[in-house]
Amino acid sequence: MITAIAETPHQAPHRDVRPQAPARLTARTLPYAARPSIVAAATVLGAAAVFVGGASIAGGLALAAVAGTAGVVVASLVVEGRRRATDRMVHALMTAAFVLAVIPLVSLLATVVNKGWASLSWQFITQTGGTAFDPTTLKVLTTAGAWQAVVGTLIITGIAVALSVPIGVLTAIYLVEYANPRGWMARTTTFLVDVMTGIPSIVAGLFAFSLASLLVGPKAFSGFSASVALSVLMIPIVVRSTEEMLRIVPDDLREASLALGATKVVTTLRIVLPTAATGILTGVMLAVSRIVGETAPIFIAASFTDNFSADPFHGPMQTLPVMAYANYKFPGTDIAASYQSAWGAALLLVLLVVALNLAARLTARLVSGARRGRSSARRTPAEASMRDTHP
Amino acid sequence: MRLTMMPGAVGAVTLATALALTGCSAGAGAAGGAGTQAAHSTGDTAATTSTLGGTITAGGSSAQANAQAAWTAAFQAQAHGVTINYDKSQGSGGGVVNWLNGSYDFAGTDAGLTPAQQKQSQSMCGAGGALNLPVYLSGVAVVYHLPGVTLRLTSATVAKIFTKKITRWNDPAIAADNPGQKLPDESITVVSRSDASGTTANFTNYLHQVQPKLWPYPASTTWPVKGTSGQQGGSGVVGTVLSGKGTIGYADHSSIGQAASAAIQVGSGSTFVGYSPRGATRAFDTAARPAPQTSGDLFTDIDYTKITSANAYPIPLLSYDVVCTRLASPAQAKLTAAYLSFVASDTGQKVAAKNAGSAPLPASIQRQIAHSLASVK
Amino acid sequence: MTTTPTMTAPHRVPRPGEGRPEPGRRRAGDTVFRWLTTGSAASIIAILAGVTVFLIVTALPALTADWRTAPALAGGTTGGVGSFWRYVAPLLWGTAWSSLLALILGTPVALGIALYVSHYAPRPLRRGLGYLIDLLAAVPSVVFGLWGIFVLRPAILPLQDWLNHNLSWIPLFAGPVSKTGSTMLAAAIILAVMIIPIISSIAREIFAQTPRLHEEAALALGATRWEMIRLAVLPQARRGIVSATLLGLGRALGETMAVALILSPSLLFSVKILTDTANPQTVAANLALNFPESTPLQRDALIATGLVLFIISFAVNALGRLVAGRAETGRRKRGAA
Repeated sequence: MITAIAETPHQAPHRDVRPQAPARLTARTLPYAARPSIVAAATVLGAAAVFVGGASIAGGLALAAVAGTAGVVVASLVVEGRRRATDRMVHALMTAAFVLAVIPLVSLLATVVNKGWASLSWQFITQTGGTAFDPTTLKVLTTAGAWQAVVGTLIITGIAVALSVPIGVLTAIYLVEYANPRGWMARTTTFLVDVMTGIPSIVAGLFAFSLASLLVGPKAFSGFSASVALSVLMIPIVVRSTEEMLRIVPDDLREASLALGATKVVTTLRIVLPTAATGILTGVMLAVSRIVGETAPIFIAASFTDNFSADPFHGPMQTLPVMAYANYKFPGTDIAASYQSAWGAALLLVLLVVALNLAARLTARLVSGARRGRSSARRTPAEASMRDTHP
Repeated sequence: MRLTMMPGAVGAVTLATALALTGCSAGAGAAGGAGTQAAHSTGDTAATTSTLGGTITAGGSSAQANAQAAWTAAFQAQAHGVTINYDKSQGSGGGVVNWLNGSYDFAGTDAGLTPAQQKQSQSMCGAGGALNLPVYLSGVAVVYHLPGVTLRLTSATVAKIFTKKITRWNDPAIAADNPGQKLPDESITVVSRSDASGTTANFTNYLHQVQPKLWPYPASTTWPVKGTSGQQGGSGVVGTVLSGKGTIGYADHSSIGQAASAAIQVGSGSTFVGYSPRGATRAFDTAARPAPQTSGDLFTDIDYTKITSANAYPIPLLSYDVVCTRLASPAQAKLTAAYLSFVASDTGQKVAAKNAGSAPLPASIQRQIAHSLASVK
Repeated sequence: MTTTPTMTAPHRVPRPGEGRPEPGRRRAGDTVFRWLTTGSAASIIAILAGVTVFLIVTALPALTADWRTAPALAGGTTGGVGSFWRYVAPLLWGTAWSSLLALILGTPVALGIALYVSHYAPRPLRRGLGYLIDLLAAVPSVVFGLWGIFVLRPAILPLQDWLNHNLSWIPLFAGPVSKTGSTMLAAAIILAVMIIPIISSIAREIFAQTPRLHEEAALALGATRWEMIRLAVLPQARRGIVSATLLGLGRALGETMAVALILSPSLLFSVKILTDTANPQTVAANLALNFPESTPLQRDALIATGLVLFIISFAVNALGRLVAGRAETGRRKRGAA
């Protein structure tokens, strides 16, 4: 198999980067203090626009960023020449992209934490939400609790992962390691995986519920059918990301392993998979993140309940996203309390996903650490390929 | 949902009495005095209810969701072995579809069954068909956000605002409805539901009946006018109305929270009435026209044009629970009928009024429901 | 992970040219594993066949019904539409338009982030920064929806006014400007924020796999960092970038709840992004919003729109594969030259 890496032209840098006029050995560079001073000047300009010109804070920030970038780039263009200026501009753009993405991230997390924090207590997590009825006043008191939703989320997501990760990873292995890329089976599978990425989540829910109805009759609401629905959504993500990560493993590794007499299965399991492990894990975690927050298919397949249920095969189950959504869309008469619960469930969901993410990463590091200890093998495919390709 | 009985014994007594009373009144109101499932005899009602066990799976109308939550809590507090799952995400239509498929024991719906659905239900319910039981009465509120203004609107003005014929708050028509109020020179943002909803059906039905010329659209679960700001769910409408300025929308009264709601013109007179549970009950008294689909059915047409009395709220919202006359198993029938009997009992209606802000149904309707439920087997 | 097969013949001498074991000489473990993987691929075909059969069977009544006369289609969103295609066309436009806007807003940022994290950020920070972005992928769409309603919507009101005030001659920014914020711009921003982590985490993995020797060779030859990226990193990552973008697009196309929560929809064609009175609805959101209150035939119609979305997303993916394939063959040719 030919991968991208193996065929990247080594000559390219020679051809394109060759210095045009190597008159001096060192190029002129901007003084060390130049960049900070330009940035500072731009900041002052932005601040002036806000306080003197009456611009909005966002406008001032934008102005400062644009002016700062332009200043640095122009200065670099004058002093260092076009190539360095481009480099500096790209650097600024990359940084800007990062900051740009961090703004909604920070805002989102701040909002969720800020609004959800108040309802998040050990009790909220470990207590089943419910009601108490006072027969003398006829008042129903609601106690906030998310335990049934936590349990439901863990069970439904857990089953979905157990169903889809083996299928997904094995299919990706089939596509990359075994299948003839031009054969009908590989083409059909790739085609269908592509189609699967476009299944609207609600359709997956309907499919799973119809399937369950066929099997167990009309009262088919169950956590398991919700898991099936989520698997339908999860499998294509796992396949595609795993496929990419496997393809990027250098062929040299496979060839070296095979040359040493290892069988295909050993090569795949002990060389290819571990090399791609962190990437595959990233893909799986992305897929989990994608499905753990689904509401529509769970409403359809697992219905809705406030009651505790840990039996995935019978009856409705509650999950955190459904809890958040239901408390927002169908608040009780005390709307503020319902929203509070919604944000609490949202925060809990984010925390849960973060915890799962961390656990997965930690496991991966431990595993790769153990491997590193056993053999003096490679840490990352990049280093591995360096080592193997250019001994 | 974990149930915490407050003072256990007291609760049992109160509820038992309530259920027993329902039974008695049913006996008094209906020939034969069959009473309800939950009240075979006045003495051991508590025992009957507390020995009930099993699971009721139901769903549908989100308008009655808060009432269902309260009823569920109250009923489960009494009958410890019972689990009730009411899926409010399905909406009225989804509730009926799932019920017709056999997935639900009963469905909550703001529209009741159509004749076609009633006919279809016979394949599942037997020749006796299904019962539409009116259990939840509330009102559609016209909510707005105009700080400092207490709004009164004639039905004609409501129709004109929601068809976007009136686009500014200081329009002469609005000013004429609100003498002495200082109306801002601001454009009106009309907020409607983006999802199909029974509330929309009720509101459009009201407008179509009361102002057929100004509102040519027939009753519909989806919002018919283009150019409004569509929001998901009653809470989406209320939230958007509250966070905007010069906004107006409509929502089930039980979900409006702190939002201001307009007083609406009654009939074509000069009286304006804001929502109150009594107003809704009064409106039901004057406008309800029984239109039974089968024997014992309590389907009710609301004739909005007949709501003219000075203390009636002009836009009542009626929601039904639909149940088969024959269920798959006698035990399930007993359980479901016991729950619905409680729902329609005086206590049940008071529980809903206390916890969901709904209007209690008239005692005569409560008696009729109890009588009809006696035939559910 | 089974390791027994290794032990069977540790000292087998490999023959030249044995890249792939030839048939007939495979060991038992190999055969089993091969069948396992093939079986997985087959199971995907079976699942998809199941979903497709389900979709077609349920969609068929709506596709064959007479949309002018069927009483079950007379009310709701399907009322007065006339034909299925007229119903689905604006929905498809809405889906395509919102996804396109999201890609335009999100992809450059996502790739920028990936490059920043893999090649520009201070080395000790890289892992943490990457994780920070992955965190964004971990945020469920309901939370995005809630955030959109309570934070984003009010926050972009001034931006919308500014865009409309200064650039209203571009049809995109034509008025009337929404006072609620439930606009296509808000939906597109939400979708963009949702797809950024998907694209950037996959792209980051791929950028990180660039052979370090290539990078160092480029730098040693005097290339600036950007030139090194352009020459050594991007070419080999092109296929992966397209793939990552398509995964992001898949999410944008199928996203239901966040769009349903934030967009004020209508059934029409429009390119305006600052208004809440004329936004084309998306297929997925329409499905979720109208499914509950629909008649059985309308439900079938909604599922039929899902079927069309299916086909569209396949077309998009096929296109992407074609582009990726082109990029690859083009590069192969250049490389050979």
